[in-house]
Order: sequence, then structure tokens, then C-alpha cells
Amino acid sequence: MTPFELAEPLTVADALRFLDPDDSTVRPLGGGTALMLMMKAGVFRPTRLVSLRRIASLSRITALPDGGLVIGALTPLSDVEHSTEVARRAGVIVRTMRRLSNVRVRNVATIGGCLAHGDPHMDLPPVLMALDASIAVAGRTGKRTLKVENLFAGYYETVLKRDEIITELHIPAQGGRRAAYLKCTTGSADDWPALGVAVSFEAEGSAISAPRVVVSAATEKATRLNGAEAVLSGATIDDALLARAGDAAADEAETISDVRGSAPYKRELLRVYVRRAVRQAFEAERPLSSPPPLAREGREGAQGGAH
Amino acid sequence: MTALRTISFTLNGKQVSAQIAPHHSLLEVVRNDFSLYGARESCGQGLCGCCTLIVDGRAVSGCLYLAAFADGAAVETIESLDRDNVLDPVQEAFIEEGAFQCGFCTPGFVLMVKQLLDEHPDPDDDRIRDYLSGNLCRCGAYPEILRAVKSAARKRRASKAA
Repeated sequence: MTPFELAEPLTVADALRFLDPDDSTVRPLGGGTALMLMMKAGVFRPTRLVSLRRIASLSRITALPDGGLVIGALTPLSDVEHSTEVARRAGVIVRTMRRLSNVRVRNVATIGGCLAHGDPHMDLPPVLMALDASIAVAGRTGKRTLKVENLFAGYYETVLKRDEIITELHIPAQGGRRAAYLKCTTGSADDWPALGVAVSFEAEGSAISAPRVVVSAATEKATRLNGAEAVLSGATIDDALLARAGDAAADEAETISDVRGSAPYKRELLRVYVRRAVRQAFEAERPLSSPPPLAREGREGAQGGAH
Repeated sequence: MTALRTISFTLNGKQVSAQIAPHHSLLEVVRNDFSLYGARESCGQGLCGCCTLIVDGRAVSGCLYLAAFADGAAVETIESLDRDNVLDPVQEAFIEEGAFQCGFCTPGFVLMVKQLLDEHPDPDDDRIRDYLSGNLCRCGAYPEILRAVKSAARKRRASKAA
């Protein structure tokens, strides 16, 4: 890595003073696991990094009385993973963590960092979009809040300004909503995914409402799939509905080709994974009193253990 | 612009300090400044686990961890395990089960297993795979490693019960 200056402010206000709106070589730093990869590869050569890890107020998990959660941006992923409040209120996050990188990275990487990095391959951004999460952003001219679904501007790009910092993540109360995240890795099991799919919805008996369907990794940024959501909204879940939702997702997503697969291949993956994700969310989080599980699509069900 | 700074931390139980530049990794510091060569850089991307260090009780990839972050922390390396010339039960189990060939990845595996057993004294296979999914053994000693984890868990439980 090339040398750089490291600032370690104790408050958000001081951190903002170290940032520079006109200098792309000055950046905030969370756990550093993602940024250090870029620095080691020589694709990012900072002149100054502003470490946020000494700002104590940014690493707390707060359970709100309304059922929501506030997670400080500097909270390590493993703290989120092991939080009983997160498990109770947004279990899909804990399930996602089990296959997110590895224990050592989760011990260091931060929840704010994985959003600010803008990497479309990361697992949590699509999940947080499916949960309708938002972030609090601090800048020199004041604070603003932003839905996570409006954060990403492109491949490794966000709408954050160079002198803004994510301070908190807010996950609204999920009530009885069910959610799932599935990913497909085409290299080794622990490779970056070729595709990620996150879904969440309300289910009354077999009727689905207020669905949110998000694709990641296969597209230049994590993206909601409105067509698939429209198919699911108000419909009764069965195999035909799942197939129509998968087809709608495949029709609308702009998949891109890379070393993990061609765009047409990822489109077919998406068609299948939307079906699987909706099914898994419906079944895995089924309340005890709800109807029996769907009949299995033989082959697909048998492969479910691969996720 | 990149002035050296002094960091102080405990290293394997001893209070130490080191002069570092902000871009130095903790792995570079333990190897170059303290001649502790058990942790080594292999993939350089946090995937292989060869550089595993324990910081404040948590396993980290030393190659992706800025040394500056260790200021004031407690750092442990593989060299801490046989401090009194007695092997740790995890080390004993790896030897007894033959859980390595070349040994390059072994320090990282041993530290991750120690962390696993500290948090889950009787782990099932899923839990073992979760903790070790970030450690690569290119000799392919995975079956022996899984056996060693279970053996180490039994040893630790037995010594606790005694």
C-alpha cells in the first residue's frame, strides 16, 4: 500500500472537518476490510483516510419501542450477527451473515462501510433494501436521511457526497413480514456472488401483499424489481405465481456480464432464484397456524440445501 | 504527511510499543518489529486465514487490519499458545489427528479453532464449517482438521470437568 495520512477523530463534527468535498483521495474509513483490498491492489491511493472507529456513539444497537432498530454505522457485522434484538426483529439479517465473507471479516467490517462502499456484490445492501431500511447521513451543512434503496448510483457509486458520513442505519418494524436472501456463487462457495436476491412481504394465509424484491451482484447496483413485485402483490402464492414472478424479474433486470457469468446466464439464475427466495421466505418464516407448505418442485427443492 | 506514530498494545500478554506508519498492517508489525513469524501473508485478501491474529478476543485478518487500530488493544498470536512450554489442546489435537501436511496454514486454523471453541465448546459440523470457511488448506487436510476440532473440543471439556 502507498503511504497515507490517518485521522482518528473522536466526534462526527471533527470527522467532517477532516473530509474534503473536492478531493477524491480523502475518504472515511470504517473497518477497512474492503478499502484495504482496493489499496493493496493499487486501485485506490488515498492521501488521507478518516477513521470513524473512535467515535463511540456510532457503534450502538438500539431496539426502538415501535419494533424498529437503530444500528450505529460503525457497528461490526459480528455484533449485528450476534444481537438477540436483531435476531428477533429482522432474522433475515442474522441468516444472511452466516454466509457473508467469513468470521474474521465480519469481526472487523462495519454495517455503514458495507453500504458506503457501493459494491453491488455485497450481501447486506439488498437485504436492507428489502427491509425498507434507511440511513442517517451527516454532512457539514446538516443531516439528512435516505432510503437505502436510493443510496446506490451505479457500480461502486453512491449518492453520498465526499464530505458526508453515514452515521446510523434504521430498520423499521417488520411486524409479521417474512424475508429471505439467497445468493449464487459460481466460483468457490465463498466467492463473491454472481447473483443475490432479497425478498420481503406480508402474508395473510396464502395471500401476499406489500412485496419487495431486490436483485444484487448481477446488476450494476442493487435494484428493486417493480415488475416482479407487481406480479406478487395481492396474489395467492402457488407454483404458477412463483414462476410468473421469476419471469417478470428476468424480463426487467439489466444483468451484466463478468467473470462470474454472462448476462443471459445471470438472467436465468434470477428467474430461478426469485422463485426460491419467495418460497423460502414464505415457508421458513411461516407462523405455526398458517397453511401447509407448498408442494415441492422436486429438483429445485432438493437443491435448496446448497444455499 | 505520513509521519510515524507510536502505538502501544499488549502482545501475547506483554506491554509493548512500536513505531508504525499509518499504512502498515498489524501483520507487518508483528512479523517485522517483533519477529513473530507464525502468522503469514498468503492471499492478502482475508480469504485464506494464514494471517489470523486475535485482537481484543476477536479473530481478524492481520493483512487487512491497520496496525494503527491495535493502539491500546490486546493482540495475541499463535506464539501465545505454548507460552509455558505446554501445547494448547487444539495444537495437541492437530498433531494427533495429523491435521496438516506442509503446516503453512496451521497457525491460522489453530487460532480460528481456539476462537470457535471459546465461543462454542461443543460445535456441530455446521458451526465448525462456519468458523473455518475463511481458512484454506491447500494440502487438503480438511477431514483431519474436522476430526481435530472435535478432538480438541473433547479435550477442553474434559480438562474443564476435571
